[in-house]
Amino acid sequence: MPALLQVERCTKRFGGLVANRDVSLAIEPGEIVGLIGPNGAGKTTLFNCISGSLHPDEGRIVLDGTDISRARPEQVCRLGIARTWQVVRSFGRMTVLENVICGALRRTTRLRPARARALDLLAFTGLGGKEDVVAAALTLADKKRLEITRALATAPRLLLLDEAMSGLTPFETTAAVELVRRIHGELGLAICVVEHVMEVVMPLSHRVVVLDHGEKLTEGPPAEVARDERVITAYLGDRYRGRA
Amino acid sequence: MAAALVALLYPIPFERSGQIYYETVGFLVLLNAMLGIGWNVIGGWAGQFDFGPSIFFAIGAYTAALLSIHFGWNAWLALLGAVVVSMVICAALTYPVTRLRGHYFAIATVAMWMIAQPIGATWSLINGSQGLFIPVAAGGSFVHGILTMEFPGRGKGLGFYYLSLLLFVVTLLVARVVERSKWGFYFRAVRDDQDGAEAIGIDSRLYKVIARCLMAAIFAAGGTLYGFWALAVFPDQVLEVNWNILPMMAAVVGGLGRLWGPVLGAIVLIPISQLMTATLGSGPLAGRGIDLIIYGAVIMLIAGWRPNGLLSLPWAQWAARFRGRVPAPSGRG
Amino acid sequence: MTLFLQAVADGLQMGLLYALVAVGLAIIWGLMEMINFAHGEFMMLGMFGAWGLSAWLGWDPLVTMVPLAVVMYGAGVLVYRGLMQKVQRGEVFTQIFATVGLFFFIQNGVVALFTSDYRFIEGSLLTRLSGANLSLGGIRVGVPLLVGGLIALGLFLLLYLLIDRTDFGLALQATAEDRDAAMLVGIRPQRMYAVAWGLGTALVAVAGVILANFFSVYPQAGLSFTVLAYAIVALGGFGSILGTLLAALLVGVVQSVTAAYLPPAFKDAFVFGSYILIGLFRPQGLFGRF
Repeated sequence: MPALLQVERCTKRFGGLVANRDVSLAIEPGEIVGLIGPNGAGKTTLFNCISGSLHPDEGRIVLDGTDISRARPEQVCRLGIARTWQVVRSFGRMTVLENVICGALRRTTRLRPARARALDLLAFTGLGGKEDVVAAALTLADKKRLEITRALATAPRLLLLDEAMSGLTPFETTAAVELVRRIHGELGLAICVVEHVMEVVMPLSHRVVVLDHGEKLTEGPPAEVARDERVITAYLGDRYRGRA
Repeated sequence: MAAALVALLYPIPFERSGQIYYETVGFLVLLNAMLGIGWNVIGGWAGQFDFGPSIFFAIGAYTAALLSIHFGWNAWLALLGAVVVSMVICAALTYPVTRLRGHYFAIATVAMWMIAQPIGATWSLINGSQGLFIPVAAGGSFVHGILTMEFPGRGKGLGFYYLSLLLFVVTLLVARVVERSKWGFYFRAVRDDQDGAEAIGIDSRLYKVIARCLMAAIFAAGGTLYGFWALAVFPDQVLEVNWNILPMMAAVVGGLGRLWGPVLGAIVLIPISQLMTATLGSGPLAGRGIDLIIYGAVIMLIAGWRPNGLLSLPWAQWAARFRGRVPAPSGRG
Repeated sequence: MTLFLQAVADGLQMGLLYALVAVGLAIIWGLMEMINFAHGEFMMLGMFGAWGLSAWLGWDPLVTMVPLAVVMYGAGVLVYRGLMQKVQRGEVFTQIFATVGLFFFIQNGVVALFTSDYRFIEGSLLTRLSGANLSLGGIRVGVPLLVGGLIALGLFLLLYLLIDRTDFGLALQATAEDRDAAMLVGIRPQRMYAVAWGLGTALVAVAGVILANFFSVYPQAGLSFTVLAYAIVALGGFGSILGTLLAALLVGVVQSVTAAYLPPAFKDAFVFGSYILIGLFRPQGLFGRF
């Protein structure tokens, strides 16, 4: 079965800095892939290349057979990829409901069905009851939840979550992980999660891809990757090698 | 409802007493309110600062004038023609610059306006700075006037007041429909976070163009109305800076992004301008732009202290306090 | 061909003056990404100041340049502290709006005080030199414009030294690069911003003082210079001082060549058109790095 998303040898440079070098990975329909690596490894850059905010200098990105390497973000969304952002982006002056309606309008032009779909999704993600709150007034955790809801409203096949847990308290983090599980379980999407918090990523993912200094270090089931010496070195430095 | 009644009956007392001047003030208020609503679409909803909307006002006025003069078109047909031409030109001009954001876009609109001025003054098709004159048939009933926008003689003030009221109401209705439609949502998404909007499938460039074209359509209609009122179209009149700033100010002062904002703003601002003209009359300070000084000061004050405009002031709380009731703390943030 | 070369020569000299007009905007922009719709109005104030002092006290603009610069520096700081500081953290829209208000306020304030009549400086050094020409290989170089251009160039170099070689300039650059990091080493960004506004305003006012010798002085003179300055800053790469100089020279030449071959009303149209083209195809400017 061909992969849903195929990243082939993606390279992205910013002046002299090579943010992604020759990165290849595949995401199958319905799987959860964790994308980890130390700071500056190039994870968000890769996300940006996939979602269309940036375009790779070399290499290809193929979604279900369609080459999206040069596609604009709105086209990528239309083809079925939705994303959230490291620094949360909400439509601050609109209400929670209006935010999600904007996403739902991707799949239907008429307002009534969009509204109904938005309300359903808000109930599903746990924001029911806050429909009329102005987005700028939400807590950070709720803003992230809203961003995810809005992304889901576009009916994606692949959801990219960029550090969705950062800035959350442990309590909020647990709730967020629950949400991701529920999204995967009930909606059946493929999800790619960029995350720093190991306790979150490892139990959640079917497969983990490790980036370091712009290159793919290794990939595999979480348990294997966690024991991989190179991964430990990348995160903790040479001193910890051999102490796994 | 009360407002509608006031609006409908407003010119009657003036008509009785022969003070046509106040009817004209009403006309200007409604015209600027209508243009303000138009500007609100691109400025308030889509969040793009447009400093040169008057080019579409001018395009509208000229197109209507040309259609009327060279083809004898009825005024309303000419208005339609003006709207269509204006939207087409707007789309062509705007799409290339939609890549620009914020300040860059604003300056591009100024640049367009400044390029338009020498074109207006020298283009032979529109008679350059000598202007175009719209012929008016003499006589004709009031109803005939409404149908052709021609009111020779006494009925002019009254006639154009009601014409502007009509166009204003149409504009308001159109705006209301747009506000609650997919377009309305998409405009505001682009305003609040362009990257976030693109990520949920909104083609920000397209919607910036659509928003500006809606504005262009409204300005073109306004320009047509103005042209038939003035019976002549001169480049420096229709491209005048006031047509850039008043609609924008009306929208901001009244409450940016709110449907009724520009109306409130126009009601507040136009009389100030007229008052200035009236009181300073022919004295030493006449024609010295005192009204614009006041506008400038008002803009700065609003920008510094009340960026959300007059409608954001807690009117409800003040009213309640005035009536002697202590308002409960508001639940919304 | 001579016509073309003459136009180029004239354009280069004007370009030097444009550079002085634009560099203030470049500094403010480079430091805090703010656009000042009223930028040209400060230039116009400089023009009026020069004219006024010349007409009433008989002082030469080249002399009054200094006190006017000081006064306008103060005005710039005042505008920053009084208004721009408040809108700096808010939405872009409000920032634009605030300076638009300033634009109307200043321009019409001058109209109210002086009417829209055109004024001219008479009897200053540079106007008395008018007509004096140097001939370089068949090209006529007017002395007054050359002197004006050289003064502008001199000021430009002083500015460059200030930014590049002094501690203060270093602090300014640091704040532009990373505001928070600058705070950590003891630089007060608010102070840098205020100074930038003061400096930018003073520079454009001085440009106005010089230009008043060659152009008529009237309240509406400012706006086209604002757009011109913005076009130059955009072409030059947004905040790069050297880039601003090169872009200004280019703009001066384009404008001059256009005026030589097309009706005078269109001389600015090409410049504005290039601004739009640059925005489309090379948003980082001709010389800058984004």
